[in-house]
Amino acid sequence: MVSPAIALAFLPLLLTLIIKYRYFFVLFYRAVLIRIWKDCVTGLSREERAFQYVLTHATPGDPDSILDTFDVWCSKVEFISNIGPKKGKILDRLLMEHSPLTVLELGAHCGYSTVRIARSLPLGARLYSIEMDQGNAAIAEKVIRLAGFDDDTVELIVNPSDEVIPQLRSDYNLERLDFVFMDHWKKCYLPDLQMLEGSGLLGKGSIILADNVLFPGAPKFLRYIRKSGLYEWRIHRATLEYSKGIRDGMAELVYQGIK
Amino acid sequence: MVEKFFQDHERKMPRDSLITSENDSEQDADLSLQEEHESKTHRTKRRDGDRQKKKRRNERRKGGTRAREGEEDLQAVSEKRERSKRKRAKSKQETSRRENNEEEEAQLTGGKGTKARKDIRNEKTRRMEKKEVGEVEENVDKGKKKQGSTKKGEKKEDGGKQLVKGKAREVKKKKHKKAETSSEPETSEEDDDEEEDNDKDVVRPECLSPEELEKLKEAVDERKKLIQSLRGKPWSMKKKLATLRESQEFVEKYEGALGKGKGRKLYAYKVLMTKKWMKFQRDFENFKTACIPWEMKIKEIESHFGSSVASYFIFLRWMYGINMILFGLTFGLVMVPEALMGRPYGSMPRKTVPRAEEASAMDFAVLWDFGGYAQYSVLFYGYYNSQRTVGWLKFRMPLSYFLVGVGTVAYSYMVVIRTMARNANESGVGDDNSFNFSWKMFTSWDYLIGNAETADNKFASITTSFKEAILEEQESHKDDNIHLTRFLRVLANFLVLCCLAGSGYLIYFVVRRSQKFALDGLENHTWWERNEVNMVMSLLGMFCPMLFDVISTLENYHPRVALQWQLGRIFALFLGNLYTFIIALMDEINLKRKEEKIVKFNITMWEASLYNGTVSENSTASPVTINPADVPRGPCWETMVGQEFVRLIISDTMTTYITLLIGDFLRAVLVRFLNYCWCWDLEAGFPSYSEFDVSGNVLGLIFNQGMIWMGSFYAPCLPALNVIRLHVSMYLQCWAVMCCNVPQERVFKASGSNNFYMAMLLVILFLSTLPAIYTIVSIPPSFDCGPFSGKNRMFDVIHETLESDFPPWFSKVFSYASNPGLVLPFILLMVLAIYYLQSTSKSYREANVELKKKLQMQNEENKRKNKRAALKAQMDLEEARMTAQEQQRNNNASVQDQEDDTDIHSSVQRPCQEKYGCNPPPPVGGRGRQMPSSRDPGSRTYNRGNHGPSGYLPGFARQSEPRMYRVPSLQRH
Repeated sequence: MVSPAIALAFLPLLLTLIIKYRYFFVLFYRAVLIRIWKDCVTGLSREERAFQYVLTHATPGDPDSILDTFDVWCSKVEFISNIGPKKGKILDRLLMEHSPLTVLELGAHCGYSTVRIARSLPLGARLYSIEMDQGNAAIAEKVIRLAGFDDDTVELIVNPSDEVIPQLRSDYNLERLDFVFMDHWKKCYLPDLQMLEGSGLLGKGSIILADNVLFPGAPKFLRYIRKSGLYEWRIHRATLEYSKGIRDGMAELVYQGIK
Repeated sequence: MVEKFFQDHERKMPRDSLITSENDSEQDADLSLQEEHESKTHRTKRRDGDRQKKKRRNERRKGGTRAREGEEDLQAVSEKRERSKRKRAKSKQETSRRENNEEEEAQLTGGKGTKARKDIRNEKTRRMEKKEVGEVEENVDKGKKKQGSTKKGEKKEDGGKQLVKGKAREVKKKKHKKAETSSEPETSEEDDDEEEDNDKDVVRPECLSPEELEKLKEAVDERKKLIQSLRGKPWSMKKKLATLRESQEFVEKYEGALGKGKGRKLYAYKVLMTKKWMKFQRDFENFKTACIPWEMKIKEIESHFGSSVASYFIFLRWMYGINMILFGLTFGLVMVPEALMGRPYGSMPRKTVPRAEEASAMDFAVLWDFGGYAQYSVLFYGYYNSQRTVGWLKFRMPLSYFLVGVGTVAYSYMVVIRTMARNANESGVGDDNSFNFSWKMFTSWDYLIGNAETADNKFASITTSFKEAILEEQESHKDDNIHLTRFLRVLANFLVLCCLAGSGYLIYFVVRRSQKFALDGLENHTWWERNEVNMVMSLLGMFCPMLFDVISTLENYHPRVALQWQLGRIFALFLGNLYTFIIALMDEINLKRKEEKIVKFNITMWEASLYNGTVSENSTASPVTINPADVPRGPCWETMVGQEFVRLIISDTMTTYITLLIGDFLRAVLVRFLNYCWCWDLEAGFPSYSEFDVSGNVLGLIFNQGMIWMGSFYAPCLPALNVIRLHVSMYLQCWAVMCCNVPQERVFKASGSNNFYMAMLLVILFLSTLPAIYTIVSIPPSFDCGPFSGKNRMFDVIHETLESDFPPWFSKVFSYASNPGLVLPFILLMVLAIYYLQSTSKSYREANVELKKKLQMQNEENKRKNKRAALKAQMDLEEARMTAQEQQRNNNASVQDQEDDTDIHSSVQRPCQEKYGCNPPPPVGGRGRQMPSSRDPGSRTYNRGNHGPSGYLPGFARQSEPRMYRVPSLQRH
């Protein structure tokens, strides 16, 4: 039997781990435990609950209000991994600077980032938003319409990204993508990027912005862009959305083409 | 045509060059400048006409290349130059490619190149000739005669030469002085010259005249010089490489052609030998590097992890060296003699396993605890016999034991203090705070990093440090949240203190419990309970620093300060643990000594009974033979202490290795391979790979060493164990670092904290010798084990030796010397000396700081002066331009119209005034008088004219001068 003194000697380790990784514990609690609990209690999915909250609290037709409501819900009530207000600012800035005309969004989830992008697009620009999950897509659709963007501005495509991307050129008559925002499955970042390269939709100066490259993280993606030489890239360091202590980053890639 | 250009060139140069050459006495450092000046003076002199023709010819004759000087020789000169140029172009095409030669090349086209370059050498040559006039002159004459066509009038009388040369030297006194300084190294060259001249008809480049040979030689020398100084040239690396290759090729090609015949062979041989020697030296350097143990490993780590991690390994290596020496001392002077020459195992009770333990003495568990056969061996104090000499060498075992114990500690002190002093010298009196940003700017890069990722990290850390420094700078100005910070710091320290107290109490509790277990008998308890003390100590030593690290994030210190706090806290923790342990040991020693008393009494009883029994049985009193294993014996507290330390070291080592394997290796493996199927990025995110904890490792090493120092008196095997441990951990940690650690995000430079570690080591050394000395001095040794058994105190062995092994007068002298009346003044003197040295060093440091300040001030002053001079020069230029404009305009005006003059002046004047903004205020009186007519530009010019000469700008006086004469006259109109 291990003596209690030895067990006590492990106390500092325990304390250290708890203090050091407190943000992760909090995140685990908010994103997993509460979610399971609420799922059981309400019988609705997380996205539906979020939409209900937005519907009751936000001003229809006002994207800012919708975004703010989302932020409040995500930081106070439950957790959904949207892009969040801080990293969203970076996104806004990039959009403002480059005012892209054709934007592709991979992973709409429940429409937060779609609204965010559509809000800062110039006149006449078009946003293609791809969402794999049916339920999420339905909610995203509702949120987008609630924010007052019509079909001309935002086109929601409900399909897995790896099926949609090769057909973008033929089905949607796209010539070139000015801006791509990636926020879907982290594992799909790299194949989708390669697919985009292969489709020839990226031109010189096209910008690709990938969220969550550090946490949960897309190491292969980062390794690839480091090596490939097709891009000028940088990582905007920030923290995970709605959480202070977890580091995260967005990778900004500018397609340079083959030199 | 060339001639004409030549003359033009001359005409342009002389005046200012004369001036410059006369006041250039301080410029001798700069060779190129000097060359230039000399060439100029030379040219000037040439213009001096026929008076000095003779002298010049003389010079030329001596120098070999000067033949081209005189006016009547000009024709020949030009021809020659042409030829030489062609030769140059043919033989060394690369000359034109060298940029530093470009000016010379330009001069060459003007007919001056070779001369300019050569003059200085000629000077030197002449100096040399002065020394060895006879032979050299002969040689030179010989050389001259060979070139009949160019030197027609070269039948010089040797007698007059001396005189003329003297004159020549008078003229060029300055240059001679300069040449003097550098003339010595040229001796060999001179020799070569002679050889060259001696037999010049065997040459491969037969067509070469001695002059050209000379030229070639100089070119080769120049290339060599260039190769040497290439590293310092402010060129791009590409150019440097290209130049280096060219120059080397050139030298390779033409070096051999320089000497001829015998001399040539000799020369070639010399060159060959030089090359061989250089190569040998280089190889030897490589060999030396290869001989330094683990050097390559450390270099590799350094390139991956930066110098701070490497500094740990260097420290480890240094420690290893010290332990090797300690091991050599104990092994060679204590363990081996006892094992070879002392009584063998089983001959005495102290060298035999007691009967009760015999059954389990070979069990692994017992041996692992250093009981059984391990306990009754040379590894521990108790095994050693107290006989005064062992073996046929009459080796004084107890004395050796004692002296080795003292010597190891003394040696350690010496080494540590010497290293500290050396480090202190290296670090100098730099104050990092005064030029924070400059330091960061110019010194933050670690040039030893060779890994891209580390470089990225270093880059990031430098940028963050800049950000932090800027923030700090800003915060130091506003300090708004100081109360919160203070509160947090106090809180952090409070938490740390709680932690320390908790760990101390835990260790105390465990030690008390272990004493209870020991009273109960260890056999009744589990392994966990028996090893509780060591386990708890190791675990606490491992985990508490982590907690401190986490707590220290509260404090918001600068990383370097935070590191020092962290080190201090870990230090306190380790020290507390160690001393708790020692206090517990002391308790145990006292227990053992009580036991010993009882045993001693029992033994006398036992012996008495034994002898009584035998005596009663047979009166012959023959010695009773009892198996030494059966003899009752005392507890031997020294061996117990030694055992405890050895166990501590072993458990510490095991903990370190296991932590390494689990915490680093297993984690790395998990992170690496689970990353394929995990929902977040394990490598970059949550568990990640571990970083190498420099401070923790260094402190672990230091405390380990402290334990060695403490325990090695009672367990001579400790240094050996430590050597093994360090050896293994060198390889293990090198491997672990390279395979499972990532570079720190904040890459520190190691140099700052080096002496900090050393100071810690010194403190630990002191603190660890303290208990050892205390036990040696104050506790009597056990009566039946160890080399000092039977003595009252351990150091009595010195007395004994003095009395029996030295002549009586020596012990007398020694007793006098150890008299307090003598020792006290000596100590006093030492203290005084230390005080004196300390104060002098302090004053030196102050002087250094003062000097530094002075340098800085001077620098600033210089900068200001330069700025002022530049400003002034600019203004002068401006003013000159203005004057020129003015004159032109005046001319125009005088030609045009006299009446419009004033208007022109005003129009010229105004921009000038606005530009300089230095319109001198006109005198009140004059101004008042002319107030009504202030529109009249003439008045302004007038005032200006009066004030100009005394004004700040020198330009005004001259500028307004032409007007001064005219304007009053105008007004008079």
